[in-house]
Amino acid sequence: MDCTKCGNPHVIIKREQSGQYLCKDCFIESIEKKVIKTIRKEKLLDKGDKVLVALSGGKDSVTALEILNSFRKMNIIDICAVTVDEGIDNYRQDGVDIAIRHAQRLGIEHKVVSLKDTYGITLDEIMEKPNHKGSCSYCGVFRRTIINKAAREMGATKIATGHNLDDEVQAIMMNYLEGNTDNLTKLGPKTESKAEEFTVKIKPLREIPEREIGLYVVAKDLEVHFASCPYAQQSFRGEISDVINQLCESHPTLKYSTLRGYDKIRKALKDDFKKKYDHGRCEKCGEPAANRLCKACSFLEELAGD
Amino acid sequence: MTFTLKYKDTLEEKEIPNDNYSIKDLINELGLSAQTVVSKQNGELVIEDTIIQDGDEIQLVQIIYGG
Repeated sequence: MDCTKCGNPHVIIKREQSGQYLCKDCFIESIEKKVIKTIRKEKLLDKGDKVLVALSGGKDSVTALEILNSFRKMNIIDICAVTVDEGIDNYRQDGVDIAIRHAQRLGIEHKVVSLKDTYGITLDEIMEKPNHKGSCSYCGVFRRTIINKAAREMGATKIATGHNLDDEVQAIMMNYLEGNTDNLTKLGPKTESKAEEFTVKIKPLREIPEREIGLYVVAKDLEVHFASCPYAQQSFRGEISDVINQLCESHPTLKYSTLRGYDKIRKALKDDFKKKYDHGRCEKCGEPAANRLCKACSFLEELAGD
Repeated sequence: MTFTLKYKDTLEEKEIPNDNYSIKDLINELGLSAQTVVSKQNGELVIEDTIIQDGDEIQLVQIIYGG
């Protein structure tokens, strides 16, 4: 089969969802065009933005950085990056090193922030505690807080994450199946909070399937950290992912239709179900918090008590 | 007729069982999901429908990890 677009006989992908065959160059171009289209359609960027890329060194964040950099080259935005070092032996350092090399290659401001320096404890040390709540709970909360703080310190106006189509569809289905309407209102291409300390988050890759992001980095020879987190466990998200991928074998447009359907009801969901939180301040660190302590400080208090 | 399989830093010489043996057949045989790997034939990215030829080096690059 030849490339549907240019006729090149060396195709690297057959898109089941569209029946399209693409060669390397046409595939790379199609991914970049699609991301740019999402950015324009959802108005993810404003001229003069300083975008902080949450850069783990994995395929998704490296792709987000690579494509956002095309807007930087056109002097539309500025870019900086932060990498969170959770303190996971024999895993995280490779990603950190790759992130540093990408930042150097592109000449962007970059900082690496560790859980150890920020909170005095690594994820490995947390996992040695007898009553821990599972690695992902701590990792998610601490990482989010560190990225938010970094955005303020670096003067960023947006935070870009590498969430892809699979991530978005999994989140939609998980929250729907769990009846979590509150979380359902928080999904979407752009998340804004009333607390001005929370920088706007954008997801430029939300319409790109995860596998195509993997293929994009291999096709472009981008250095990325392909590895499994040692704390990764079979989670509900993993089960949902397996079911969706299985269904997609006979219904290849399913991920797109799930996202489109959600996007159609997103506004109605927000209008009817969005909870209004009173944003106070964390008594300990001063970060925005719905309760006496922010989630990060309440975890730290629990961990200190163990 | 044989080919070399390169997967996760290991090289293994394997028999080609029939004339229409594709990379997709290989992926299924290994119990992998085509969603989680991309395939190279003699260093070039190819689609999974590609038929494996005598003397090929087939590399499977895992791009998605569970969890």
